[in-house]
Amino acid sequence: MQADALLHLNLNRRGGISRRKFLQSASLGISGSALLSQFRLNAAELKKEGRSCILVWLAGAPSQMETWDPKPGTPNGGETKKIATQTPGIEIAHYWPKIASVMNDIAVIRSMTGKEAAHERGTYHLHTGHRMLGIEKFPHFGSVVAKEIGDPQSDIPNFVSIGQTLSSGFLGVQVAPFIIDRPGQLPDNVFNDTPTSRQQRRLALLSQQESDFADAGAAALVKEQSKLYQKANLMMLSPRLKAFQFDDEPTAMKEAYGKSQLGQGLLVARRLVEVGVPFVEVRSGGWDMHNNVFKGMERRAPEVDQGLSQLLIDLKQRGLLDKTLVLCMGEFGRTPKINARPPVPGRDHWVKNFNLLMAGAGIKGGQVIGKTDENGQEIVDSPVEVDDLFRSMCHAMKINADMELHTPIGRPVKLVESGTVINGLFR
Amino acid sequence: MLKRGQSSLFRPYQWIVFITLICLFLPTTLAAAPRKNAKKKAPPLNLPPLKTQEQKMQLLGYIRSTMPTRRIARSVSFSSADLDQALEQELGPTSQAALAKTIDDETFIRRVYLDLTGTLPTPQKIDSFLASQQRGKRAALIDELLETKEYARKWARYWSSVIFYDSVANKNRVSPQALEDWLAEQFSKGAPWDYITVMLISATPQRNKAVRNDFGQKYGPNNFVLACENKSTELASQTARIFMGISIKCAECHDHPFDNWKREQFHELAAFFHPYTYKMPDADDPTVKTVVKPRFLLGEKPHEKMKSDARRVSIAAYLAYNPQNYWFARAYVNRIWSELIGDGFYDVDSLGPDSDVIHKPVVNRIAANFRYKNFDPKWVFRLIMNSKIYQREMRTMSSTSELFTAVRPSRLRPDVVASAVEKLAGYDKKLHQEIMQVFDMNPSLPQGALEGSIQQALLLMNSATLQSRLSQSELKQQLVKINSNEDLVQKLYLNVLARHATEQEIQRNSEYLNESENREEAIEDLVWVLINSTEFRTKR
Repeated sequence: MQADALLHLNLNRRGGISRRKFLQSASLGISGSALLSQFRLNAAELKKEGRSCILVWLAGAPSQMETWDPKPGTPNGGETKKIATQTPGIEIAHYWPKIASVMNDIAVIRSMTGKEAAHERGTYHLHTGHRMLGIEKFPHFGSVVAKEIGDPQSDIPNFVSIGQTLSSGFLGVQVAPFIIDRPGQLPDNVFNDTPTSRQQRRLALLSQQESDFADAGAAALVKEQSKLYQKANLMMLSPRLKAFQFDDEPTAMKEAYGKSQLGQGLLVARRLVEVGVPFVEVRSGGWDMHNNVFKGMERRAPEVDQGLSQLLIDLKQRGLLDKTLVLCMGEFGRTPKINARPPVPGRDHWVKNFNLLMAGAGIKGGQVIGKTDENGQEIVDSPVEVDDLFRSMCHAMKINADMELHTPIGRPVKLVESGTVINGLFR
Repeated sequence: MLKRGQSSLFRPYQWIVFITLICLFLPTTLAAAPRKNAKKKAPPLNLPPLKTQEQKMQLLGYIRSTMPTRRIARSVSFSSADLDQALEQELGPTSQAALAKTIDDETFIRRVYLDLTGTLPTPQKIDSFLASQQRGKRAALIDELLETKEYARKWARYWSSVIFYDSVANKNRVSPQALEDWLAEQFSKGAPWDYITVMLISATPQRNKAVRNDFGQKYGPNNFVLACENKSTELASQTARIFMGISIKCAECHDHPFDNWKREQFHELAAFFHPYTYKMPDADDPTVKTVVKPRFLLGEKPHEKMKSDARRVSIAAYLAYNPQNYWFARAYVNRIWSELIGDGFYDVDSLGPDSDVIHKPVVNRIAANFRYKNFDPKWVFRLIMNSKIYQREMRTMSSTSELFTAVRPSRLRPDVVASAVEKLAGYDKKLHQEIMQVFDMNPSLPQGALEGSIQQALLLMNSATLQSRLSQSELKQQLVKINSNEDLVQKLYLNVLARHATEQEIQRNSEYLNESENREEAIEDLVWVLINSTEFRTKR
C-alpha cells in the first residue's frame, strides 16, 4: 500500500535505514493525490463491508421511569407523564418527544437487570461485559470491535471516544480509544504548521538518528516507534481527519443535531462511522439524579432527545443504519421509589431493573422487550442480563461472543461468559 | 521501634536487646501461644492495645521471635562479583559467547542516573565523571546517587504507582501522594523493606466522620489498605501480588488452573484480612457459604483470639520472617532486577508455578542475601548495579536463553519523560499532565509487553506548547550563540541525550546546519529530531 511507504523507515537487515530509500518513499508521499483517492476507496470499501457501533453513554445512570418505562399515576410514578410514540402501543416519558417520533427504528429493553450499583463498577460492567474483579483489566467493548473488525492499517484510529472512557485493558494500545475532548475540533497535536518541506527534512534526519540507535541494540523499539510515527504522520495527512470537524456540514444539519456538546459529538460520530471508524463512544454526563430528578430530566433530556433522534434519522437516510448498531444506556437504574431527600427528592441507585435503547444493525425497531410491574419494582417478563446484552451486541456486530481473549498471564477468558442473544431482538 | 535507623548496617545486638525487652514486657502465657498444638483450648490473648504503630511493631517483634528465623548466614557475603559468577555459570558456555560488551562511562552515567534518580545527568556532571581518574568511580557514583532525594522520590513514585495502578478505589478516599511522600521518606532514611511492608499491610485506617471524605488517607501508610478498599479478598490478592509476586487471584473462584494454589487457600488468606467471621461462597452456588478459618499461605495460623488488626501484623510477620516464605524477598529482588535489567526472572506480579522462574538459583541467592542484609533496599541496588550484567550494552532479546546476556533497552516512565522534557522546555502544568497521561504505563508489566501510542508521537512531534517553549528555551538561546557547528552539536547532544555526539552525528548535523537557510530554524529542527528520537525516551 502506498500509504505505508509514506514514512516507512525501511529497515535493512541490521535494523538500519537506508537514507536513499527513505527519501524516495518520503517524496512519494508528498505527491499525494493518488494517495487520497486510495483512502476514499478504502472508506467506501469499509462502508460496504464493515459494521460500526455508536455507543451513547449516559454517565451517572438515567432513571428508567423518566426515560423509557414511565409509570404515571402510580405511587412511584412522580411527576413524569407518558406520551405516545410513532409505534402504536409504545409509550415513553414525556421528556422525549423526538425519540418518540423515531420509535419505529428503536428496540426498547425495559427489563435489564444488573449486578453493580456503584458508578465505577457499573460503568465497567456495561462497557466490558465483565464485572470488576481484581487485577485483570477487561477491554472496553470498543477495543474488542476495533480489534475484530477494524482495519489495522487504518490512517485514523479504529476506536474514537468523544470524552474520557475506559481503556483497552489487556488488549493493549493498538486498539485503545483515541480520546477527543471537544467535538468538532481536530484531535490534539494532530496538526502543526511546519511547512511540508521542512517537516520532510526533519523526518529524514530523524530516520538517520533512529537508524544509529537501532544499530546500537534497540532495533525492536526503533521499529515499533517508526511504525507509530508512520501512523501518526498518516493521521496528520489523512483526508479522513476531516470527519472530526464539520465545517463542511450544512448549517441545517448542524442545527438538526443541536448545539450541545452531545449533539455535536453525535454528528462527529456519524461522520466517523461514515469514513469507516468501527466504534465511536459519545458521552453525556449529569444523569446521577439523587436530587431533583424531574427538573433534572427536563434539563438533561432535550440534548439527547434531539441529538440521538437526529442520529437515527441521519444514519437511515444515508443507508448506514442497517450496519450501524446504536446503543443508548447508562450504568444501572434508579430506585422506583422516590427518595425523601430534601429539598427536592430524586431517585437513588438501583440495579434490579433498568432500561436502554438499541437500534440499527439488523435490530427490529418499534418493539419493547421485557416488562416491569405496575410500580416499576420488579421485572415481570423476559429479564435481560448484561451477558445477554453483550451477546446481542456481538451478534449485531457479527463478532463471535464465544471467542477467547487472553489476559497478560495467559489466562483464557471468554469474550462473553454466558447468556443468550435477546429473544426477538433481531429481524 | 523496628526501625533500624539511618545506617544500612544491621546491628544484631539491637535485636537481642529488643526481643528480650518484648518478651519481658509481654505476659508469659504468650510465649507458647500461637504455636501449633491448637487442639487445646487456646489461652486468652492479652495483647497490649494495638493503636499505635509502635505497639504494632512490638507485636511484630514478638511474632518474629517465635519463628525459626535461622539467620545462620548472617556473616555470609554475596558480592556483585559473586553474582556475575553465579549468573554466568547458569547461562552456560553458549550464552557466554554472546555476552554483550561492558558499557562506556558515558552510557553508564546516563543509565545509572535514570535508574536511581529518574533524571538525566547534567553536562557538567557527565564531563567531570568522564574526566575522573578515580578507581571505583562507578561504585562511588552509585553510592552517591543512592543518598539523593531524587532516588527516594523515584522509587517512592514507582511503588506508589504499583499499588495504585490497578486500584479501583474511590479517588476521594485515597491519597497516592501521601503514600508517595511517606515512601520517599522511608527510602531516604534507608528503611528496610520488611518494615515498609509491615507498615503498609498492618495499617488500620480510621474514618473521621466529622470530615467529608476523610478515611485516614492523609497518613501515607494507610493507603495500601485503602487502595484495596479495605476488602479482604482484594487485600489478599494484592498482598500476594505486590509483596510475594504471585498470582493467586484466579483461585478466588476456582482452583488455580496451572499452579497448586487451591481455592480454599485464597479464601483462608482473605479470612486472615477479614475483621469478622469469613465465609467462602460455594463455587457452584454462591448463596451457599462456608466459614473459613484464617490461615496464611504456608499454613501459618494466627492465635484464635487474635483480633483483625493484630492478625494483619502477623501476616506481615509471616510474609517477611518465615524462612520458608522465600517469595517475599524474591518478589522485591525480582522487581528491582526487572526494572534495572529490563527483564525479570519471572513476570513481576504474575508468577504461576515456581518452575516458571528462570535461573532460579541466582534469584534465590540474591533473595536469601537480601534477607541476611535485613531487607536493605539499597543493598540490592548496589549488588546489581555494580555487577557486570547491569553494566552490559543493550540488546533486545527474544529468547529466554539470551536473557541477561545484555540489558534490554527500556521505555522511560511517564514522570521520567516529563522531567526530561521539562529540563529542556521548562515546566508547564498542562504539558506535564498531558505527558503523564499519554505516556502512562502499567509499572507491573514487563518491558516486552509495553507499547507506545500514536498520541505519544503526536505530542512530541506537534504539541504547540512544547514547540513554542522549546523555541524560546534557554538551551536554544545558548545554541544560537555558538558559531562552531561541532560545539553546537555537542552541546545539544549532551543536553538532550546526555551523551556526546559521535563523529558521524557531528558531521550529519553540521551538514544539516550548513544546508539550511535559516540557522535558528535549523537548530530548532535538531532539537526536534532528538526529542522525537527513540533514544530520548529510552534507557540505553
